[in-house]
Amino acid sequence: MLWWIWAPQAPGVSRGSDRFLNTIAEASRKPLFPRGPALGLKFLLFAALSIALMVADTHGERLQPLRQWASWALQPVLWAADLPREVAELAQHFRSRESLIAENEKLKRQQLELQGRLLRMESLEAENERIRALLASATTLDRRVLIAEILAIDQDPYRHQIVLNKGSRDGVYKGQALVDAGGILGQVIQVNPSTSVALLITDPDHGIPVEVNRTGLQTVALGRGDGQALSLPYLPGNADVKVGDLLVSSGLGGRFPAGYPVATVHELRHPAGESFMEAIAYPTARLDQGRQALLVWNERPPPAAELAPQPPPVAQAKAKAKAKPRSPARAKETSREPRR
Amino acid sequence: MSRGGSFFMLVVSLAAALVLQLVELPDAVAALRPLWLAMTLGYWALSSTSQPILPLAWLTGLCCDVLYDAPLGQHALGLVTVVYAVRKLRGTLIVFPLWQATLLLAPVWALYVFLMFWIDGLSDHPADLAARWLPLLTTTLLWPLAATLLSGLSARRSHRRAVLP
Repeated sequence: MLWWIWAPQAPGVSRGSDRFLNTIAEASRKPLFPRGPALGLKFLLFAALSIALMVADTHGERLQPLRQWASWALQPVLWAADLPREVAELAQHFRSRESLIAENEKLKRQQLELQGRLLRMESLEAENERIRALLASATTLDRRVLIAEILAIDQDPYRHQIVLNKGSRDGVYKGQALVDAGGILGQVIQVNPSTSVALLITDPDHGIPVEVNRTGLQTVALGRGDGQALSLPYLPGNADVKVGDLLVSSGLGGRFPAGYPVATVHELRHPAGESFMEAIAYPTARLDQGRQALLVWNERPPPAAELAPQPPPVAQAKAKAKAKPRSPARAKETSREPRR
Repeated sequence: MSRGGSFFMLVVSLAAALVLQLVELPDAVAALRPLWLAMTLGYWALSSTSQPILPLAWLTGLCCDVLYDAPLGQHALGLVTVVYAVRKLRGTLIVFPLWQATLLLAPVWALYVFLMFWIDGLSDHPADLAARWLPLLTTTLLWPLAATLLSGLSARRSHRRAVLP
């Protein structure tokens, strides 16, 4: 059976004897009676197999083990594709002394500045602890983090994904938040033994619950898919949002840690005749630069419903975020918002 | 021509194409990335009938799906279709001069791009329509180069094998 599939269409003309009679190159000979199945039949078989796989893969997670096993087996390909970057980094080792000194100076200054801010932060943290103790709630500000390297692998240009060099061996889990020095980058959507794939917040599939830092207004930021901006489509028409407002993660839905910067509002749009407005915001994290990212462990373990493998994580996060309006007024606004 | 040597070349060129498909490009030219895998498989479907190209195309496509985190079978279906189309056109393609063959192959790449676009649309990954067709241009422009390079490589290898005892 296997041979039937594997067999080439025009298998071995007996090699020894007719080599001298037939002057046509063997590759272009066409036997009179081809053995093996017809090309069309084989094509139909493979096409049907592909379509069956696609259907099985998009409806349910039964093929997940196969995918994980295959991506483990394909590690060498990832390494090979990452090689040019490694070579480029090697070349950077031989940079001039002046630039290193300048960079050193700059880093020292930055470190001093940050140290100063940290001193204030420590006293604030202590104060926060005391106040929280008064309120009898237990929240810690320290979080477990892990630095992951971003592999220089171009994914499909129409999906905003990155590959990290940390996987389930390092304790990475599906849905884990990913931040950089500027703010939230995205979340992990697939975990392999030693790598993982993360979806950036600019992907059109991605939604993140945010709040406006100045006013505390809760809303959802969706990726616009152009690789640069987020959109806040569910704002009431009279919402107090200004250009330049900082959006921070609100922590609703339990997927992202609260309080990390996400984006700054860049533009407000009032569609004519609609009772809501839309804001366009630019992420504060540098999505297309930088080689390192921080994986953040959420202090709350994900609820049991999220551990069940059924719904895809992103759609679920989005649904959850949408399904959690804070005030009744906002709930009404959301439901009035037209489907797009 | 020895089948073993040629099969080795086939597998090596497919692995190289898979890596080229993944190597990071600057953002400005990322959308122009040629369809390396389709091109390589197209060449082998054209140049040799004694290789199991169809199963290999399917397996390579699955690898591509896993690496791209696409629905399993998307690229596999596209590549199998390319191989089938090239095999069907083979009789015409091998008598044409290279530039005419290049033009005749453009619809085959277009079919591949369309299939990918269509499946992406079905699985809720709509994309910029104009940028999607750019690889078609680069693939067509690069085909004469790639075909010459691959045939040169495999010819040299088989020649060496024929000369050596």
